[in-house]
Amino acid sequence: MEVPISTAELLTTDGVPLKQSLKKAERKNKIRAFLLVFPLLLFIIVTFVMPIGDMLLRSVDDTQINTVFPNTFSEFKKWDKEKDELPPEEVYKALFEELAYGDKIQVGRALTRMNYSKSGWKSLIKNTSRAIKKAVKKNEFPDSYKDFLITANDKWADPTYWYAMGQMVNFQTPIYYYNAIDMTYDQDQNVIRQEENRRVYVQTWIKTLKVSVYVTFFCLVLGFPVAHLLANLPLRYSNLLMIFVLLPFWTSLLVRTTAWIVMLQQQGVINGILVWLGILNDDGRLSMVYNETGTLIAMTQILLPFMILPLYSVMRVIPKSHMRAAQNLGAKPATAFWKVYLPQTIPGMSAGGLLVFVLAIGYFITPELVGGKDGKLIGSWIAYHLKTTLNWGLCAALGAILLGVMLVFYWLYNKIVGIDNIKLG
Amino acid sequence: MALPSYATPVQRTYYYAYLFFCSVVFFFLVAPLIAIVPISFSVSPFMVFTDGMLSWPPDPDAWSLRWYQNMIGNCSADVVSSTVPCSHKWMTGTVNSFFIGLTATFIATTLGTIAALGLSRPHMPYKGLIMAILISPMIVPLIITAAGMFFFYARINLVYTFTGVILAHVALATPFVVITVTATLVGFDMNMVKASQSLGARPVRTFFKVIMPLILPGIISGALFAFITSFDEVVIVMFMASLDQLTIPKQMWAGIRQEISPVILCMATCLVALSIFLLTTVELLRRRSERLRGIKSR
Amino acid sequence: MSKLLKVFLIASFAVASFSAKAVTVASWGGAYTESQQKAYADTYTDPSSIQFENYNGGLGEVRAQVESGSVTWDLVDALPGDAITGCDEGLFEDITTEIAELSTPGPDGESMLEDMENNGLEYHSGWDCCVPQIFWTYVVFYDPDAFPGDKPSSMADFFDVEKFPGKRGIHTWATGIVEKAMVADGVKPSAVPTVLRDQTGALDRAFAKLDTIKDHIVFWSSGAKPLELVKSGEVVMSIAYNGRVGAANLAEGENFEYIWEGQVLDQEYLCLVAGAPNRDAAIDFMMHASTPEAQAEQAKYITYGPMRASGIPIIQAGEPWGPGGVDIMPHMPNTPERLKVSIVSDPQWWSDNGAEINERYSAWMGN
Repeated sequence: MEVPISTAELLTTDGVPLKQSLKKAERKNKIRAFLLVFPLLLFIIVTFVMPIGDMLLRSVDDTQINTVFPNTFSEFKKWDKEKDELPPEEVYKALFEELAYGDKIQVGRALTRMNYSKSGWKSLIKNTSRAIKKAVKKNEFPDSYKDFLITANDKWADPTYWYAMGQMVNFQTPIYYYNAIDMTYDQDQNVIRQEENRRVYVQTWIKTLKVSVYVTFFCLVLGFPVAHLLANLPLRYSNLLMIFVLLPFWTSLLVRTTAWIVMLQQQGVINGILVWLGILNDDGRLSMVYNETGTLIAMTQILLPFMILPLYSVMRVIPKSHMRAAQNLGAKPATAFWKVYLPQTIPGMSAGGLLVFVLAIGYFITPELVGGKDGKLIGSWIAYHLKTTLNWGLCAALGAILLGVMLVFYWLYNKIVGIDNIKLG
Repeated sequence: MALPSYATPVQRTYYYAYLFFCSVVFFFLVAPLIAIVPISFSVSPFMVFTDGMLSWPPDPDAWSLRWYQNMIGNCSADVVSSTVPCSHKWMTGTVNSFFIGLTATFIATTLGTIAALGLSRPHMPYKGLIMAILISPMIVPLIITAAGMFFFYARINLVYTFTGVILAHVALATPFVVITVTATLVGFDMNMVKASQSLGARPVRTFFKVIMPLILPGIISGALFAFITSFDEVVIVMFMASLDQLTIPKQMWAGIRQEISPVILCMATCLVALSIFLLTTVELLRRRSERLRGIKSR
Repeated sequence: MSKLLKVFLIASFAVASFSAKAVTVASWGGAYTESQQKAYADTYTDPSSIQFENYNGGLGEVRAQVESGSVTWDLVDALPGDAITGCDEGLFEDITTEIAELSTPGPDGESMLEDMENNGLEYHSGWDCCVPQIFWTYVVFYDPDAFPGDKPSSMADFFDVEKFPGKRGIHTWATGIVEKAMVADGVKPSAVPTVLRDQTGALDRAFAKLDTIKDHIVFWSSGAKPLELVKSGEVVMSIAYNGRVGAANLAEGENFEYIWEGQVLDQEYLCLVAGAPNRDAAIDFMMHASTPEAQAEQAKYITYGPMRASGIPIIQAGEPWGPGGVDIMPHMPNTPERLKVSIVSDPQWWSDNGAEINERYSAWMGN
């Protein structure tokens, strides 16, 4: 007997086509799911994403100085450097007026900015400003503003200061990014390398990457056997041993850093014990901290759990039978390990490796405390410019580049492991 | 993983070398944390094992609680040393750390749990993108986060306030809650929700009566992660907290920069004890969760 | 959620307004702040109205507070470069008139600013917003037991690793070192700031001199470190803050010798943050903390020198001035005869060139 197949559309009880009804239900579910996520999403965007976006904007922003010297800069742009050695009279006049009537605080802020483009702007403008204010008070306006300024300070006849002004005449500027990789502008706004003895950032970037690579490597070398052991022991032993991995993971970074200083310093625990045991004599104490060794030791220990945990979770699910099967088929243990076991741990190694690398590249507390003269990684420079030089543009640009490097690795991580596969312990 | 009885001597050597290597790494992981504990009980202001501490039978004069008394702000004459300052700052810091930590934990756990419920629904649109945004505070280097927040919060008057520090810590802590709770929800049987709803329970009631008891272990371990994140956080407070918001890590940082005093080691010892406590709690919860969800312990 | 936020806002405001009564002074912490507490706050009419907070220098926090309009610090203990920048940027309030009217004149009726000029200082714009505190110096010191024969006595000796073999301790930033290198290269100490300012290539000369000892340097970055280095024999001489060396000599019974020649005197100021919540009380405290008597008092607790010239005679007359009846003039950096062989660091020049020189110095250290 044949069952007649209805060609008509399926309907729900209230007469709506089933397809449509299902679609509607699905949309409703989607909205519901999204509404649950929405509060947190909004929160993270406001408290976290927006601050970072704000920082990125700051790295190209040059508005403040442009609101202080608008006329000077617009006249400056008309200066034909080929024809005249110094800017035309109008530039000097505009500068005179903007210094004479400008708000002291705004000018002061602009000075700090100008000094980044060329050292010496600060006192130059300050001295000139004083002379200008005196003249204005006495109502003595010069016939030639150019001569007046040059008499007030002969640096106004030095074109290099004027060339440096070219860096600042736009509201947006890439100069901080160039500075962050030891580049600058020459007098015609071509990008050139910084003077040789000032090239410090490329060197620091390399050092930061080097430390991160070393730390990742050491973590892998130390973490692999441990993760292997934990994954292959019976659970009641491995759970116990897991505490050794999780305890440092749960302990404050500062506590661990402090502990390493206490351990490694010249009058510290390790040297003390070695001297006490008679292995070292008192003036032969090793210097293991306040140098690169200290940074590597402390950072390796601090980041090691981040390598062991992902490795462990991958190794846990590799069937033990694989190795046995390979050996039964005649492979030597080393070959079996190399050809069968190791390839299966690659997801774990790359997850752990990337995690450690990404965390290491942004570290600055530990290197700064234990690194001595080698401890100034890129993070320290960011903090230094934020707090000390007030060069917030350069600070933001360094941060943006670091973030960029990080995002590349983050993206890789997502490709290899998947961002929602992160596990904690 | 024991050695098979037929192992060759070479294999045996490799095996013991491997075990030895692993023990060294375990030692490397915990030794510094353990080493500071006895030193914090030393009489001496120098951070070494003094001869008195190493002698046997133990020399009672080598040990004392003076640095702990100093830490709790008991600055009587027998406690104070000329080189080690004594103040109530550690206690103020402790109070602030707990206040900030607990508040941040509460907000982070609430927001994170709700979001995790949404994320585990099968119909979640743009799941990958949203997850990436929600997890990002955990991945972005703290110095960048701190710099960005410093600039941004300064504009809206939140730098040097409790509100600012707490908001920042919530942002840093939520990824941990989202991850742990989502992980718990992986094994969660959605039919139970349907059953509850078909029996007439409203969504809120369903959550508290059906979902919550089952995922509670995940929520609690997420909350503990959130707490420890805020409690140990130093970079944000370095930039965004003033004396009023002095926390333990901020006080420690100031101390380590200047000169490491034994008082810092006392606080470090307390923090290690706290981490052991939290760690144990999380581990117990994880087992309970697996039992509840019927996942066989591997 | 919004309810919660409100609770936090109220809570944080409550905390903020509770502590707003005391004048908050951001300072460097450690023994230095301890000495400020004893010399300035404890001798003040109401000691409990002053509270000190630690910071690590720099104007980042001050700028953030002033820009956002939520100022929590009243006074900042600032280096001269920061005093200048802060005053120029309006982060510190210009109190020229208050200083002229309210500051305590010296014993011969000289104004406070004249009193400072008598100490070898020149006017800079920091003086508009700040009152003087102490002279602290980068001084070279050594343990005499490390040199059985000839003892080093000059900057030339510090840079001469053949005559006095052994490592040298030097800090990881450029201030102070550049000047010392110039002295070692034969420039008269008092002429160093002028030479650095006016002679092209002076800086290259300083770095070339530094190159000669580069392989013999142990770098330090926290103030306690140089004492450990010299004590443990890891270095034979080191640059240090003179106050640290003084404390080791006076309180811990060490016997370190100073090389005063080529010491670099740096200044320290107390500046009023623009928009300070307790402005008037803060100014009152500034005036108290800048009297010659208060400055001399501070020398009792830390061996930094009063920045007002008239503070020195008070100490001399009061000897033994130090704790436990010890003379402290031997540890004061700015006695008239020591000033003759010292460099007074030029803050305006550093403010102009400091960022660039520090980059160069870091690059030099790293290579």
